[in-house]
Amino acid sequence: MQVDIQSLETFNRLARDGARSAAASLSELTGIDTNVEVTNVSLMAPADLRYEFVGRRFSGVHIGLDGALSGETVLMFDSEARAAVTDVLVPSDDPEMERSSVKEVGNIMTSGFIDGWAEHLEAGIDITPPDYVEGSGAEVLPTSTLAGDEQVFVFRSRVEAVSDAIDFRMCFVPERAALTSALEAESDDTVAFEKLEVFNEMTEQGAAKAAGNITSMTGLETDVEVNRLSFVPIADIPAAVGDQPYVGTVLEYHGRPSGYLVILFDRPSARSVVDALVPTETDGAWGEMEQSAIEELGNIMTSGFIDGWANVLETSIDHSPPQFVADMGSSIMSPVVGRMARDQDHAFLLDSTIETDDDGVFRCEIFALPDGDELREVLGELLVDRADEIHADPDEVF
Amino acid sequence: MDVLIADDSDFMRNLLREILEEEYRIVGEAENGVEAIELYEAEDPDVVMMDIVMPIRDGIEATDEITDTDPRANVIMCTSVGQEQKMKSAIQAGADGYITKPFQKPSVLDEIENVAT
Repeated sequence: MQVDIQSLETFNRLARDGARSAAASLSELTGIDTNVEVTNVSLMAPADLRYEFVGRRFSGVHIGLDGALSGETVLMFDSEARAAVTDVLVPSDDPEMERSSVKEVGNIMTSGFIDGWAEHLEAGIDITPPDYVEGSGAEVLPTSTLAGDEQVFVFRSRVEAVSDAIDFRMCFVPERAALTSALEAESDDTVAFEKLEVFNEMTEQGAAKAAGNITSMTGLETDVEVNRLSFVPIADIPAAVGDQPYVGTVLEYHGRPSGYLVILFDRPSARSVVDALVPTETDGAWGEMEQSAIEELGNIMTSGFIDGWANVLETSIDHSPPQFVADMGSSIMSPVVGRMARDQDHAFLLDSTIETDDDGVFRCEIFALPDGDELREVLGELLVDRADEIHADPDEVF
Repeated sequence: MDVLIADDSDFMRNLLREILEEEYRIVGEAENGVEAIELYEAEDPDVVMMDIVMPIRDGIEATDEITDTDPRANVIMCTSVGQEQKMKSAIQAGADGYITKPFQKPSVLDEIENVAT
């Protein structure tokens, strides 16, 4: 299967327009003003999608699609969003009526989401009656993501209310055969789906190496919990990273592909790392030696992350010395995406989350933003048979 | 034995110094490839621990120049980079050994003994 990049951009826009339409429907029904914060399409393992929803409770509607684009959609409200909706629509305390209202709101919003796709495909998309879903974590996700390990394309949107701390999410998982047909190559600008999958798996192994390097240097037991390859409008990337404060490193890599790599620790995790690397009393600020320790860890993690690409592709990728950063996630990402936006309006974003195995206290995010044209060229040359050749042993070379 | 450390990271130079100074004499610390070349010429160390990713001039270029000037120079690349093409470039530049970060103290000491004897 060849994935047509222009079609992917078009589909991403359809998802974004669909999310805006759904958000507008919600505003009309409830008076809650909303913004579409993020829309992207990700290639990821079902287990990684499930992990994103662990520990949170959602309610919403599940709708099946058939016809020109078959698959499943789920519209999910978190607890605050559900309460905001039902408070407006069902003033009395009537749980059954509350469920019914959520179901109807979800139905109307999902229809708004789907209509644009049908129009684009110039064909009908049949939808099943909505099923009310409620539960924790993965219980509300599309059923196709609850089993198996074959990577899936997932269109996701996150919509936030302008004035309230509420949000809802749309998750659309098309069937692979249907997507294959819909994304049929209309131009020469294509990437083989199989190679995208392989590249994503290579990246996960790179992230695992980076996680191992954290453990080697600090003694903190870590593992890769989520890994995904997303195709995202560049302008959405800062919002996707969010306004949480982070500490980490930014660097540019050069080669085939070139691009940027951003490694971000939340503040408590950054402090844990620094305390392990520079075991001296500090006043809480990031002193020179502490910044240097973070930079060096970023340097070593970066190599763990991108060396596999270079080895599989039988090329070399240089990177600049890492630059220490401490700011809100969106503020750290803005200058990076600003530089990339000169040449492209969509980007492939490789995003890995590293956490401690049990308590989730330690958290680190790795964002790789390769140049789009170069990544396509590289994927064109990628030999799937070499995908396991990610490690090079100096003892064998010297 | 005299050892020169070339690494742009304060943290890594500190770490290497702590590991090495019990066994060897540290004759200099360079923060980039240009400083490494200058300190090599000034100090004539027995072994250079050379990082690859450094500003101004990287470690492979610096190794190339040092071994051009002194073919008997012993240079160990001490780097996070684990790319086979870079390892081959390091060999071409005249490097004698290659250690990938993060490293353990014994592997560093073993590599120095292997290269210097």
